[in-house]
Amino acid sequence: MLLMILGSASAQDAASIIQKAEEVRRGIESSQSEMTMTIVRPKWTRTMSMKSWSKGDDFALIVVTAPAAEEGSATLKRSDEVWSYIPKVGRTIKLSRSMMSQNWMGSDLTNDDLVREVSLITDYDHKILKDSTIEGRKCWKIELIPHEDVAVVWGKVHMFVDQKDYLQMRTESFDEDGYLVNVMQASQIKSVNGRAYTAKMEIIPVEEDGNKTILEYTSLKFDVPLDETFFSVQNLKRIR
Amino acid sequence: MMILKLAWRNLWRNKRRTLITSSAVFFAAFLSIAMNSIQDGMHQQMIQNVVGYYSGYVQIHQDGYWDEQTIDNTFTAEEQVQKVANDHPSVERSVPRLESFALAIAEDVSRPAMVVGVDPRLEDEFTKLQAKLVQGNYFAANGQEVIVAQGLLEKLKIGLGDTIILLGQGYHGVTAAGKYPITGVMKLGSPELNARLVYLPLQAAQEMYGAPELLTSLALDINTPDKSAQVAQTLQEDLPEGYEVMDWKSMMPELVQVLEADKGGNVILLGILYLVVGFGIFGTVLMMTAERKYEFGVLIGIGMKKIKLAATVLLETIFISLLGVLAGSIFAFPLVYFFHYSPVYLEGLKEAYEQYGFEPVLMTSIDLGIFVNQAIIVLVISCLMSIYPAIRIMKIDPVKAMHV
Repeated sequence: MLLMILGSASAQDAASIIQKAEEVRRGIESSQSEMTMTIVRPKWTRTMSMKSWSKGDDFALIVVTAPAAEEGSATLKRSDEVWSYIPKVGRTIKLSRSMMSQNWMGSDLTNDDLVREVSLITDYDHKILKDSTIEGRKCWKIELIPHEDVAVVWGKVHMFVDQKDYLQMRTESFDEDGYLVNVMQASQIKSVNGRAYTAKMEIIPVEEDGNKTILEYTSLKFDVPLDETFFSVQNLKRIR
Repeated sequence: MMILKLAWRNLWRNKRRTLITSSAVFFAAFLSIAMNSIQDGMHQQMIQNVVGYYSGYVQIHQDGYWDEQTIDNTFTAEEQVQKVANDHPSVERSVPRLESFALAIAEDVSRPAMVVGVDPRLEDEFTKLQAKLVQGNYFAANGQEVIVAQGLLEKLKIGLGDTIILLGQGYHGVTAAGKYPITGVMKLGSPELNARLVYLPLQAAQEMYGAPELLTSLALDINTPDKSAQVAQTLQEDLPEGYEVMDWKSMMPELVQVLEADKGGNVILLGILYLVVGFGIFGTVLMMTAERKYEFGVLIGIGMKKIKLAATVLLETIFISLLGVLAGSIFAFPLVYFFHYSPVYLEGLKEAYEQYGFEPVLMTSIDLGIFVNQAIIVLVISCLMSIYPAIRIMKIDPVKAMHV
């Protein structure tokens, strides 16, 4: 009996930890940042600079600023839709279902990762596994198992959430057969306006040797006033 | 010699019997030749559509390209490589290509497409690309225009003169994007290719994919398609490290499998046909033996050696079979010849065939080998059947036989 109570209590905790972590990740209201994305492949690497804006969980806009060949390429997320602007052909394209699973800008992120339709809070069952330490920070290791009717490719996800600032330090995604497929590893904790964030994130597809994508914030601001009209298809072409 | 004469005369003593037996052989030869020729013709056509008109029988790539067909596994076609290829006696020409995938986008619709950057002149010499145009014009080497397969255009709901947008991933992760007017529409035999192919001048493709001077493959036009594997092997040995040379069978094992599976199915059909034919012949031979029991008895009774009599009957069957096989081949020839030069388009079977990647066209092969092989097989079957009367003769008791 006691065990059962304890069990349900910790389940409650796990869900609220994830909820808190998601709020922290989103920057609660809105954010504006500049970042670089480095795509690492066994034979080459490539770095792009970009600017991004976000508002809540539904709106995001990312525009490439360098290299010159890709300058102006922009991606807009409006709730579950993704739009892409390609300056080379002067066209805006709404990504179709089939394009959502393709990688974004040649990186190890997929378009689906940008949209993330599935809610980590309501579409998964949560359980705290044990404490562990990542980058010198004490973390909860939380297991997330998707509900059966939820369309996700993962069989389970292990998320390491920092116990002090609720930062998502590491995410391990497993396929349905229990094999580790994808790792997101965060590092370089910094803070702005008294709010902590991880300035560096590495996305590592485990099965592809020598491949990874590194995202690094060069500047980040929280709670920037942004109107919803800023995240419009028209603005996608104009933004620089 | 006497036996030969005797056998020949026996044949024409009962013309009707001879004709009935040889017509059984005739149909067998006719049907098996027709069946094999249709099957072979369709296979040749499929290989020609995919291999001859597209991939080429042998290709040179950067080592590892075939396992991981990405634009990152490209190579610069140094003169040395081209020279090694062109110096091989079987190689007529080497055709440079840059192939990759892209999304083809029209106004509202988008479809996955296979983009092929080609040297317009060499490609036309090799795959007769220009002849496949059903609308519009061919492109020039420095053009910024595309030729698109008909099936793809239908799906995109656009046509000649419209603009197509290609979007994909280029060399080392750059965005590959381009907007091109459609200068030509082509129709391709292979349904799969017809729904996907977009041809672009090589330079324009290299520009779009951010891969100047780079190629994914060097397709070789060879004059000995049957020896593809050997040509590939010699070239592999002649080329420096870092390249892979492949023949079409190793590049397209699925195609080989489809052909094998189809052949396997036909082996069963042919087996049934041979069986029916065998029993048909056996039936007439059986009747003949029963009918001539008295005659055999008399011949042995007056002192003819059993072995000689058996040889005569054997010869008779061989004559009958030869007659049937010859007639069958002669009748099959004009039919096979006709359908080789004027193939029939099977509208009703379109979907069923396209599922297997076949073009729904009934075309026969006029390979002499088919005639020879099938004639020999039918001949052997009918000769086997004539062993029965020979055995009967060896066991014959003349007194009993004449006692009717």
